[in-house]
Amino acid sequence: MSLPVGTPATPAAIASTTPPRTAERRTGRLLRVALPLVVLVVLAAVPLFVAPFGTSTLSRILIFALFAVSLDLLVGVTGLPSLGHAAYFGVGAYAAGLVAIHWTAEGVVPVLVAAAAGAVAAGATGWLAVRSGGVYFLMLTLAIGELVHQLAQSLASVTGGSNGLYGIPTVRIGGTPLTLPGYVYWFVLAVTGLGYLGLHLVASSPFGGVLRGIRDNEPRMRSLGYSPFRYKFAAFVIAGGFAGLAGGLFAAQVRLVTPSEAGFTTSALVLLAVILGGAGSLWGPILGAAVVVLVRDALGPDLDGHGPLLLGIVFVLAVYVLPRGFAGLRDLLRRRPSPGETP
Amino acid sequence: MTGWFDENLVSILNGFAIGSLLFILAVGLSIVFGMMDVLNLAHGAFFLTGSYLAVSFVAGGSWGGYVTALGIAALVGLLAGGALSGMTEPLARRPILDQALLTLGISLIVAEVLSIAYGNDVLSVPPPPGLTGSVSVAGNAYPVYRLMLIVVGLLLALVVWLVVEKTSVGALVRASVADRDMVSALGIDNRKVKFAVLGIGSMLATVAGVLAAPVYGARPGLDKTILILALVVVVIGGLGSVRGALIGALLIGQVESLGRALVPEIASFILFGTLALVLVVRPRGLFGSRKLAHG
Amino acid sequence: MPLPESFRPRLPGILTAGMLALALSACGGGSLGEKDTGDAGGDGGGTVRVGLVIPQAGVYTPLGVDMQNGWNLWLDQHDGKMGDYTVETVTADEGEGPDTGVPAIQRLLTEGDVDALVGIVNSATALGVAEQVTEAETPLLIANAGAGPITKDAGSPYVWRTSFTNAQIAAAMGEHLAEEGVGPVYVMAPDYAAGQEVVAGFIEAFEAGGGTVAGQALTPFGKTQDFQPFLSGAQASGAKAVFVFYAGGEAVSFVKQYADFGLKDTLPLYGSGFLTEGGVLAAQGEAAVGVQTALHYSTEIDNESNKEFVEAYREAYDALPTVYAVQAYDAANVLARALKESTDLTGKAITDALDGLGTIDDSPRGPWSFNGQTPEQTIYLREVTDEGGTLLNSVVTDLGVHAQP
Repeated sequence: MSLPVGTPATPAAIASTTPPRTAERRTGRLLRVALPLVVLVVLAAVPLFVAPFGTSTLSRILIFALFAVSLDLLVGVTGLPSLGHAAYFGVGAYAAGLVAIHWTAEGVVPVLVAAAAGAVAAGATGWLAVRSGGVYFLMLTLAIGELVHQLAQSLASVTGGSNGLYGIPTVRIGGTPLTLPGYVYWFVLAVTGLGYLGLHLVASSPFGGVLRGIRDNEPRMRSLGYSPFRYKFAAFVIAGGFAGLAGGLFAAQVRLVTPSEAGFTTSALVLLAVILGGAGSLWGPILGAAVVVLVRDALGPDLDGHGPLLLGIVFVLAVYVLPRGFAGLRDLLRRRPSPGETP
Repeated sequence: MTGWFDENLVSILNGFAIGSLLFILAVGLSIVFGMMDVLNLAHGAFFLTGSYLAVSFVAGGSWGGYVTALGIAALVGLLAGGALSGMTEPLARRPILDQALLTLGISLIVAEVLSIAYGNDVLSVPPPPGLTGSVSVAGNAYPVYRLMLIVVGLLLALVVWLVVEKTSVGALVRASVADRDMVSALGIDNRKVKFAVLGIGSMLATVAGVLAAPVYGARPGLDKTILILALVVVVIGGLGSVRGALIGALLIGQVESLGRALVPEIASFILFGTLALVLVVRPRGLFGSRKLAHG
Repeated sequence: MPLPESFRPRLPGILTAGMLALALSACGGGSLGEKDTGDAGGDGGGTVRVGLVIPQAGVYTPLGVDMQNGWNLWLDQHDGKMGDYTVETVTADEGEGPDTGVPAIQRLLTEGDVDALVGIVNSATALGVAEQVTEAETPLLIANAGAGPITKDAGSPYVWRTSFTNAQIAAAMGEHLAEEGVGPVYVMAPDYAAGQEVVAGFIEAFEAGGGTVAGQALTPFGKTQDFQPFLSGAQASGAKAVFVFYAGGEAVSFVKQYADFGLKDTLPLYGSGFLTEGGVLAAQGEAAVGVQTALHYSTEIDNESNKEFVEAYREAYDALPTVYAVQAYDAANVLARALKESTDLTGKAITDALDGLGTIDDSPRGPWSFNGQTPEQTIYLREVTDEGGTLLNSVVTDLGVHAQP
């Protein structure tokens, strides 16, 4: 939920915004710097006020959000809708869990190993996947995801099979275990914050510009001398790395990794979070992820277990009410500033 | 060789039974996607609706109940497909993922409503009288109902193929797959074609649900399994191709049956391994056209 | 959580909604304090708060219903009291797997102010919370999950089990079939942890008794609608009998197809009791008659406690009890016994009391005791019979007392 520092405007956003007056532009810039800071401060203060369950729910939202934003780099920025992104999340989670159990639970070590493992797994499979496009890409990534899921299930001696990888120790910072949910939350907040920042830097770099170019008109980029395959592959590996990072945080926070972390349901939910939030904006998916996790974990149990029903209704309504996801809301707000808003 | 064949005859036969069912299920999905770029992820939920209708009407195991269930399922499928066609109309110019969000939302709702109405227990459905029991095939017992499934499936496949390839309606459908704007320019209302194709495609899904009920029963979660199988068939065959759906369905039928019988050690990997293999060798499926890849 | 008025309107709606939802759950004031002990409920006022964690959504819901019934029945029979304490039950939804189950239990541990936890169907969920339960020093009585490591490798002084272990039941059947000399046996189970444990447990006991395994197949878990390919493998293997472990939807499909493809008449079918337990038996119908299974419970066990239990259960819920109901009923029973002996409601005192319970002599399943914090109990050989239209698991014989292998 921390907003990006200096959000890069997507081409669509540029196209739909009329040239703003200077005052408005200044407000806009101020808002862009101030809002993320305010949100960050609020988020950092959460453990001081909110009870443990709320705090750990928020931790899960942050992790799922980082995962969703990493997918947005593929779906929204590069135009590659993946239905197997959970494979790399799962690989990262298992890697972090194994490192924490067998080697060290010291702070960032398992998490960085997770990111590396996610990137390596994405590299090993991505060269196959990015050769196709559209729905075929969707299905090929689905197949990769299911195969990874099945491997996690079958390699019981390493992964614990369907019982999951359990007994993951608490995260340590400087040798001190973080036993309280509030401290774990701060750890998660710090790493996800850096993760978002990293993804935004990638998306707003010239490299990100080329990815958007490929998304919008691949033949043109090819004729300009770019190799779409190499760029798509690089995007796939980077997205896999950040998904692995999120997976590593998941292992640290939940302390149990099961094959379903790499499976179809996780992949589908994260893709829906991206669409719900607004693909390509890099911040919309954060809200999409928040809705998905809140409905499933916080509201679901109070609905007699009919969380999926509510989720289904949310999806259907969102398609009509929020044509461009939550990200579309910002343009609405911008075009019609409410009277109460300070200029 | 004949020894091998005798030993595996039942598996091969069974592969045809699964394949026939998958074809009925997948052909609608494939044409709808090829024609209208509608990725209908509610297809599995429609199938499960058919299975639960079978539970309600076939309870006594009578032909009357069976035929009633088929009729009602066909009607429900037609209406659901028509409604879906209307619901996707505002999304025509939007990215295909929006339709995925919509149809997956619908499938979640349908599946939850079914589980509220019928509970979470596994429900089974008896085959109609005369089709219970087994016959001997090469010395092994084989259920009569599945033999009927093969016959019905192949007949339906023939009918669909004849309609699409040999009639003027079929020509219109094929033309819409190839170039929708051209068809529209000829003064034919795209929406009517879409309404009809989506309606009939969904009808085939609910009917397949009834046909499959005596074999697979009805239970929560079946919709997801079936949807994924159908998607695999469609993608392997190539989107928008009737021939592709048929070949894909027969191939996956054998993979799920003969493949599992021959190499049970890797049974868990074989379905998606096949899908990955086909897409690596032919990135657009066996009979897919290039145009659709980025649809 | 106070959200400054000035910027609330600028936050997109759902963020606000999310924050509010979190704020609503904020009752304890922060997540940086040590675990709350001893406010409302808990020690004062003679109430004991028990978290009942059962599946209320997903494929395991029928098990959750049975467990809830078993738990409620025991409480109703004892005026809602365990020892001198009035029981306050907090029910939480376990869902289908650990992704919903673990957070639900975390919530009970951190905010539910519970003195003990009961339930859990899914083994991964049980293993996933074992460490957190231990850290919170809250006793957990597992009323279903059967994975071996729950009470062995991952064992914790706070994790107890009133159900069974996968291999325990399979080993009893393995010994029995070896003694009977049924000939080579083909073994099948779904390809996931419980299935693998059952296959390993069965084969070890069966081969130790001198039996030979004709072959084995691990079928894709949750993705097998059609068992024909594997059934052909069993037929071709030259086996004289088949032993399987399936539950829920797979149990129904398997038993029906076993009959459809004619194996029922040629190869006798044996299984772990879940193959024909509860709701699945009705769905299997005639196809199940004659199937023999091993389990630690049957409605037909001939003892006084069981007769009373079955009678009371029928009266209360108009259905026959299942093994899942008994496991929850027994969990209530042992918790009550422990609370009578326990000095206070701390986890240490309750688990010490559980440790000293000895034989539980009034259980519907017959006498059993804790051995390594999991039941050492009689395993029964049962056969499905049709008693005037109602399918029952009749007791053929008992297979002796078994501990976790």
